[in-house]
Amino acid sequence: MIAESQSTPSTARATAPALEIHDMTVAYHRKPVLWDIDLAVPEGKLVGIVGPNGAGKTTLIKAVLGLLPLASGKVLIYGKPYDEQRSLIGYVPQRESVDWDFPVTVNDVVLMGTYGRVGWIWRPGAAEREIAERCLAQVGMSDFANRQIRQLSGGQQQRVFLARALAQDAMIYFMDEPFSGVDAATEAAIIELLQKLRSAGKTVFVVHHDLQTVRSYFDYVILLNMRLVAYGPTETTFTPANLHKTYGGRLTILDEAAEAVRKREPIR
Amino acid sequence: MLQLQMVWRIAFLCVWAGTMAGCRNEAAPPTNAAVARTFLGQHPIDVVCTTGPVTDMLRKLGGEHLEVTGLMGPGVDPHLYRAVPADIERLSAADMIFYNGLHLEGRMADLFEQLAARKATFAVTHALVEVKDRRLRKPPEFEGYYDPHVWHDPRLWAECVKYAAQVLSEFDPSHQDEYSRNRDAYLKELDEADRYCRERLETIPADQRVLVSAHDAFGYFCIAYGLTSMPLKGVSTEDEVTIGRMDEVVAFLVKQKIKAVFVESATAPQIVRALIEPCREHGHEVRIGGELYADALGSPASGADNYLGMIKANVDTIVSALK
Amino acid sequence: MIAASITTNVMLGTALLGATAGVIGTFAVLRRRALVSDMLSHAALPGICVAFLITQSRDLLTLSLGALASGLAGIAVMTVLRRWTRTKEDAAIGIVLSTFFGAGVVLLSIIQQQPTGNQAGLHSYLFGETAGITRRDVQLIAGVAVLCLIVVSLLYKEFKLLSFDPDFATAQGWPTLRLDLWMMGTLAIVTIVGLPICGVILMAALVIIPGAAARFWTDRLGRMLVIAALAGASAGGLGTFLASPLPQRLFGTDLLDATKLPPGPLIVLTAAVFFLISLLFAPQRGIVARAVAELRLRVRIAREHLLRALYELSEPQQPQRPYIDRDQLLAQRHWSEWLLNWWLGRLAARGYLELDDHRVRLTAAGFAAAADVTRTHRLWELFLVESAGIASDHVDRDADDVEHMLPAPLIRDLEERLAGAGRLPTAPQRVPGSPHELL
Repeated sequence: MIAESQSTPSTARATAPALEIHDMTVAYHRKPVLWDIDLAVPEGKLVGIVGPNGAGKTTLIKAVLGLLPLASGKVLIYGKPYDEQRSLIGYVPQRESVDWDFPVTVNDVVLMGTYGRVGWIWRPGAAEREIAERCLAQVGMSDFANRQIRQLSGGQQQRVFLARALAQDAMIYFMDEPFSGVDAATEAAIIELLQKLRSAGKTVFVVHHDLQTVRSYFDYVILLNMRLVAYGPTETTFTPANLHKTYGGRLTILDEAAEAVRKREPIR
Repeated sequence: MLQLQMVWRIAFLCVWAGTMAGCRNEAAPPTNAAVARTFLGQHPIDVVCTTGPVTDMLRKLGGEHLEVTGLMGPGVDPHLYRAVPADIERLSAADMIFYNGLHLEGRMADLFEQLAARKATFAVTHALVEVKDRRLRKPPEFEGYYDPHVWHDPRLWAECVKYAAQVLSEFDPSHQDEYSRNRDAYLKELDEADRYCRERLETIPADQRVLVSAHDAFGYFCIAYGLTSMPLKGVSTEDEVTIGRMDEVVAFLVKQKIKAVFVESATAPQIVRALIEPCREHGHEVRIGGELYADALGSPASGADNYLGMIKANVDTIVSALK
Repeated sequence: MIAASITTNVMLGTALLGATAGVIGTFAVLRRRALVSDMLSHAALPGICVAFLITQSRDLLTLSLGALASGLAGIAVMTVLRRWTRTKEDAAIGIVLSTFFGAGVVLLSIIQQQPTGNQAGLHSYLFGETAGITRRDVQLIAGVAVLCLIVVSLLYKEFKLLSFDPDFATAQGWPTLRLDLWMMGTLAIVTIVGLPICGVILMAALVIIPGAAARFWTDRLGRMLVIAALAGASAGGLGTFLASPLPQRLFGTDLLDATKLPPGPLIVLTAAVFFLISLLFAPQRGIVARAVAELRLRVRIAREHLLRALYELSEPQQPQRPYIDRDQLLAQRHWSEWLLNWWLGRLAARGYLELDDHRVRLTAAGFAAAADVTRTHRLWELFLVESAGIASDHVDRDADDVEHMLPAPLIRDLEERLAGAGRLPTAPQRVPGSPHELL
């Protein structure tokens, strides 16, 4: 079930968009969190998912990845249901979602990215170890391979998660706040890496909080506030009018500051 | 979470405490005020009893004048018995209440104390405690407390029967004569049972007169008939067996070449079965001699559903296994 | 020797059970599900009762199957509660534990009303008789141990991923629900088999304590499993040994009277002692090691503060090395006088300082060392201002805290980058071979 053929994207790629969401509604305990989302994102984009707190950004990602049940609608990856395309997906969950005191090393965590291609029962071998090594080098964490993950700083932990996603060798990446709790240097390094991924034809979805950097980071945005407000190329979509619709009357200078403070808190 | 753990731990502590208490001394004798009362209502007298042996005793004594109800069916462990609401209703409606006492009914002790204040409530073992009968056992691990399993010695039980007949006559003087007659008849039966036990048990070779069972319920029985009692646990069924005790018992079984050990009807048989293997390793084949009624009577089908039948069944089981 | 044969059996049984419970318990502990074993023990009661009501038999196997069935039902209910309702994990465990146990108590009452009774026998199932372990029990435990070992070694990778990051596992396509049931099912089998042998409390202890203790000794899951297995096995073996008549016969001591001590509680206590030792003396994670490391860090920081203060007070008169008043030094920073004096003494002994009652002067070697420390500090300070975008008024305090954590290679890297930008402070003088020659 895990090691699907890698050939699907090349054949389907020409026609289908990387991600299509049709009529998706997600509810937490009878309370809808996302309503009637309909969108299609072409391949090779760096996509920012932007919206106020509680807008359902994380929910969107989790619903796409099958971590939350859909109340209605469907998700297509390169024109096929998600279940058939799992091997094309890389995932960077929120840093706070795991126990960093868990007894594993950096290398162990990155190797988890290769479990999908290893499949049941077999252990990662030399080939996988090589992949992990390469991915760690890509995020500049080679020196930390044998560290226990508790000893890492927030930015380093984020890089490890990124390396794990890279080890998945995916076509589409979903990253939930990869910039939360990282220093400016790491943020710059991460965005550089994401741009490299885009150049390699990958599609990257990033939940993002900092409105000031949206324009420079992403070439495609999804503006979300429980409903889909707008999506499309940043140039034409990330406009004051759309932002106003996303954030309502709250998008004053003060609110922006409050938003900036809020994003430092752990998000559940 | 912690509270939940506490809840169950407390629940089991209660069982524990109940059983421990079940083997301790009777704290408060029944009030004399109750004894002094006499019956004025309609016959038959509504009598409620607890354990099988007590129920059986009152049926024998009262004949047609008593309507006797037993709360604990055959096979029920009196130490752990919890009164359900229906029982309390029956007890409240009763004219007279008889129970074993010596805290055998550990979980009902408080209830009987309350009932004694307003009802004719009697512990049949009260007679033994009152005169500090020298046959009453104080097991070493329960220093100062009496072993409640008195009914396994018919002659001790006879004292209880006399006491019960006496309070019955005082309560209902109009049928005094009949109660005396029934008592004498029952005492005779107990006498025969005693003789039966003695004669049957004497057929066991002297070196085989050893009773190994799960817990110390046959103390009176063994003293009365010259057996050595070798229980794995103390009077309480709740204690965990120690390796040291297992070792002692196994060493004894092997040395004396004892043929059989006995499981009890109301405790798990595993611990007694565990004796077989180490004995075999040391070249002695011991077997399970059968099931004894230690804390309760048997089911109607077993024939041990009444006192005399129970005593006979135990003796027959022991004799046929050890002979 | 009879005691030896009984004790060997019991030791073998409890050691095997301890090792098995330790292994599968490690996963439970890591997933913060340590109380699942407790839940299983309680959820077993209604199953035992129902099995008895249906078959009217006190056969161990029948009752165990009943216990296993209701244990698994308990796990299923817990999983459903957690996944499809708002209930949190600990609450779900609590709800299942109390509800199932409550149902069990009700069933016990029903059984007590039945003509056949025998409820006391069922009740003793939950308490266990450790001393009564027979060879057949040992074989059964060994079978379960092998099963557990097979499951854990085959699904090691999957269990690791599931325990660390279940969401990622799901996204990657692993059937996490099924894996979870495999893991909890194995725990259930181990618990149910151990239950009549060890009883509820001992079983919970054997599942939880070895894993919790093992966590102190290693940062690798694989090693943690091995340590937990060893800890569980030795707790079982040693606890049984202590409760047997053997120590008395072997060593002639009357320390523990074996005929009065049941093995169950002693096994728990032995495990608890292991945990206590781990808690106190484990390297790195133990309380003692952490206190020592903390103290060392403080002492090292004090040394660097002293060297930096000396350098800064000498700096204006470079290249001369002036005498510095002790009082002036004391006033330079908030530090305790005893620590300052202690370090002055140590640095003097190493030839870094010339020291008299009132004054201090750096030697050439001391000056080099002090310059080195100061340079590191300034490098870091500059790096934070230039590259990390942190407000400059916070830098000094941050630098104090962090410079001692920096690894040597990173310092070299910073040095190069800042030297390239022309911001490297004056290079320290070369340190002569032996400081003593200079004195």
